Amino acid sequence: MIDDNILEELNRRIKDIHDDILEGRVSLLDLELVPMFNQIKDTLTVDNLDKHSKIYKNTCELLNQKFDELKNLLSSLDTQEKFTKYLNTNPTDMEICELFEGCWSKIFTIDALSIDFLEMSKERLSKLIRESYSIEHLQKKEGGGVFILEVPKLKFSEKMTEFLNSIQGKLPCSFDEVFKDDSDQIKIFEKFVYLLHLLQLGKIKYQKETNTLYK
Amino acid sequence: MNEISILMHLLSNKFGLYQIGATEEEMLQALKITGKNKTIYFQNLLTNLSKYVEPLGLEVRYNPIDSHWFLSFDSEISDTISANPFEGKPRLAATLFSVLVCCIQNSGIGKIQDIKKLRNKKNVIDDLKELEKFGYIEMIKDSSQIQLTPLIGYQLNMEQLFIKMALKLKNLE
Repeated sequence: MIDDNILEELNRRIKDIHDDILEGRVSLLDLELVPMFNQIKDTLTVDNLDKHSKIYKNTCELLNQKFDELKNLLSSLDTQEKFTKYLNTNPTDMEICELFEGCWSKIFTIDALSIDFLEMSKERLSKLIRESYSIEHLQKKEGGGVFILEVPKLKFSEKMTEFLNSIQGKLPCSFDEVFKDDSDQIKIFEKFVYLLHLLQLGKIKYQKETNTLYK
Repeated sequence: MNEISILMHLLSNKFGLYQIGATEEEMLQALKITGKNKTIYFQNLLTNLSKYVEPLGLEVRYNPIDSHWFLSFDSEISDTISANPFEGKPRLAATLFSVLVCCIQNSGIGKIQDIKKLRNKKNVIDDLKELEKFGYIEMIKDSSQIQLTPLIGYQLNMEQLFIKMALKLKNLE
């Protein structure tokens, strides 16, 4: 219990520090992080390892930020003097040019990413999602040869609707319940295909956690 | 549309020759963020955006010359696609370095006479004209002075340059 309170206090402290930094109230360079690390170390047990790891990670992030601030401070100290000192070493043009290497950035600009474009894309996307596709019924054509596929008498959508009507009364039911009476693999596969299409069309829903089909 | 898409639009927009992205104020206004915690909210949004665009090889950066936030490709990609405008022109890079020194020491405006001294050359006008063509500087007052344009703040990571120079000096000691 005492440990939990300490952890909560540490968490709150880290959050406050973040807010203070963002609002410019405090500089990380003025902040002492050693007591926080000591507190984490002193309260660490096998039981609270999980929570401690998270706090330790957040405190390390603060430490990294502090290093960055220190690096910035050091690089900004006596910049003018550094420039003069560097130029006094009489660097060649090539040496100066090498100094620029890795300091150039390619700017990312894209005019097409306008508000209008985003609005239009959003409209188009939602329209595309709404539209369902239809399965064309197979047509037999006179070709002269032997037609190896048998044209079904009923359309796919008709067969699927027939299947849906046959299981309507069972819903909600488990996934296996639908295939309970079938021993023929082909029949099971056919029903499974109908089921997939019905799920895609949203006529039937499925909850993975309970393995249940429902309307 | 969400905050991220609006920020992407604002930060990737180019206005005129030297202006890219948006200032903090412009972004707060576009996102209708008000109240005492607006700065925290704004910083969080930018932090989240930078996390989103990082896998695309992009980063959110700040131009200290005109206080604009903008998007750029990360250093690895920038190097790959040769963002260095002075490749094969070390003379121009050296003159730009002298211009930077001069402008930083004189609140953003440099005298051509001082640049000549720093470069230890009698004639730097041709280089300066070329740098003006690149859009990095502007000649002012009958071409006796120059000033940096915001463009250099977008294309050149000056902090990185200063760090590299400091390290070089340390190695020379």
